Amino acid sequence: MNALTDRDLILRARGGNAEAIGELTTRYQTSVFNVCYRMTHERREAEDLAQETFLRVYSRLDLFDLERDFGPWVRRVAANICLNYFETQKPTVEIDDERLADENNQPEAAYETRERSELIRKAIAALPANYRVVVELRHFQELSYDEIAVELNIPVSDVKSHLFRARKILAEKLK
Amino acid sequence: MNHLTDELLNEYLDNEITDRATVENHLASCADCTARLSALESLFAELESLPEVALSCPLASPLIRTYTLPRWLTLTAVLQSAIALAGVIIAAPFVINLLPAIEPSSLLTFISEIQSQWTAALDMLSQMHMPVMPEIHIAEFSSLMIALAGVSILWLLGNGVLLKNQLK
Repeated sequence: MNALTDRDLILRARGGNAEAIGELTTRYQTSVFNVCYRMTHERREAEDLAQETFLRVYSRLDLFDLERDFGPWVRRVAANICLNYFETQKPTVEIDDERLADENNQPEAAYETRERSELIRKAIAALPANYRVVVELRHFQELSYDEIAVELNIPVSDVKSHLFRARKILAEKLK
Repeated sequence: MNHLTDELLNEYLDNEITDRATVENHLASCADCTARLSALESLFAELESLPEVALSCPLASPLIRTYTLPRWLTLTAVLQSAIALAGVIIAAPFVINLLPAIEPSSLLTFISEIQSQWTAALDMLSQMHMPVMPEIHIAEFSSLMIALAGVSILWLLGNGVLLKNQLK
């Protein structure tokens, strides 16, 4: 299974092959989880959303265009699932206790790097949901303005304004 | 001299403008805009250097569980189906030979016998009397309740300990 291409695995997964589904999940679970984690800043929530992403992906596998790359598509589905989730939730950012406990056990140099990363994650998580998803799609999934507009079904002018405002807020917080 | 707008600097770094030369010419002679661009570049670098976080447990196993049976069980199911199919093929000629021998009237008699037996059993049940409940003193009743509450608490605690890992 490891040697198969994504395309082969998708064709097998479409036929209900459990091993192919398992292998695809194994290949992309970390990147999908990281999309959800950057968007939520809460580990359990991110894991649940990542699970939901894969369930959504496998239920719509027949719609996937085999000429495109699977990874970016799955990560875009994850970003959309997170955005839909935020729209149904109250805007709260919880502190991940498990992560904080891990940090306290790190050596000092690594701790400083992690502290900075945490600051960035917190700053992203504190952004309004529509800014957060645009930052995710532009900086972490490297989509163009046009692609983001299509993905989120919003005008390009909104993509630009969300992105510029989000960056301004982030720059202020990360000074 | 007109400075470059924040929007233009953002679009420049995002590779979303076609006329890059104009921006670059301005940047070559403007320290202020170069400093603003540099600050924006630092932000981009910080965002993009954010490390990936490892999963605490793989997502694959629960997904696979929801989709299919284990491999050995799938093989057993296939084997059982094959044996059952072979049994049907072998038994079919015998059943076809036996069918004409069964008379419809004897079948009806058999069904009516079962029905009458069932009615008799129901009649018998309707004539049964419930035994009289023994009288329980208040003291005995309360100690019984305390014991019941104790057992319930132990049951809840036991379940809590057993399910602790799953709830995490």
